[in-house]
Amino acid sequence: MRIELEVDVLTNNNRAAQFNRRLFEETKTLVINVMSSPGAGKTTLLEKTIEALSSEFRIGVIEGDLATEKDAERIRALGAQAIQINTHGGCHLDARMIAAVLPKFELDEIDLLFIENVGNLVCPSSYDLGQQHKVAVLSVPEGNDKIVKYPTMFMRTELVLVNKIDLLPYLDFDIVQAKEDLIGINPQSLLLPVSAKTGEGMDQWLRWIREGIAQWQKQ
Amino acid sequence: MHEMALMGEIVQLLEQDAINRKIDAITRVEVKVGTLSNVLPEALEMAFDAYKLQPTNRLTETAQLIIHIEQAKAVCVICGQEYEPASRIAQCPSCQFLGGRMIAGETFQLLAYEGS
Repeated sequence: MRIELEVDVLTNNNRAAQFNRRLFEETKTLVINVMSSPGAGKTTLLEKTIEALSSEFRIGVIEGDLATEKDAERIRALGAQAIQINTHGGCHLDARMIAAVLPKFELDEIDLLFIENVGNLVCPSSYDLGQQHKVAVLSVPEGNDKIVKYPTMFMRTELVLVNKIDLLPYLDFDIVQAKEDLIGINPQSLLLPVSAKTGEGMDQWLRWIREGIAQWQKQ
Repeated sequence: MHEMALMGEIVQLLEQDAINRKIDAITRVEVKVGTLSNVLPEALEMAFDAYKLQPTNRLTETAQLIIHIEQAKAVCVICGQEYEPASRIAQCPSCQFLGGRMIAGETFQLLAYEGS
């Protein structure tokens, strides 16, 4: 017997993403999916962001890693609620993994939920998690050519944070070229240079989040 | 090995459908893979072979995977020309404009299967 299906291979993931999205809408939780290669500074960026915003918003974090609770522990140390997902070798988070841990949060009491994806510039870009915003972090030591080398990631994000700009004097990262490359593949995307370590540029990122939350809660 | 996870999605969809139709042995699976879908056909075949040997699904040990390739196609948003882009960053061959709208090549679908 031959059975015609003609369905997207990610059908089950996309259904779970829709479920998550509805829940985030009902509870007015703004969800940001943060993606980058390993070591770009996602966790440090989130730590500094939580420190700066915790008096204004109630913040939660879902941490995705292959193994260990290390990142969730760093976030909990700041008083924010953090749930760790270990993918046990899996290269990305998918919407079902997110749906499975959402009951551990009181979403009604969270304004802002970060999902820190597994460090990887390829696979996480294919999986919708139900988030409202996708943000990519690209760090100065990686080089500005990553934008054109991993276009599937940078074509689908709304904001690229170029992190570790305190290292610009020592390395050959070309921010002007990075901006041009980004405009070429994704004209709508913003690019903000930041240093989570020194705090430079962080005010613009924090403003972007504040505006996002204000707009989301108005809807 | 992204393809291993993707094959896991395919096997799950097959299982869901086959249970309902009371199909116990799947002998042939057809997928459509766009050239810009980030899926490597060779890696997908390897993943299929690995899943075939697992007793936890309905794929038979001799099941075949048929991969239909979908050629990438883009339309230039400036001059309207249709062309086959070499990469995700589509550049129009006549006016050189970057960022053409992709109309084919990103598909990754489970098309059909055969079994009894």
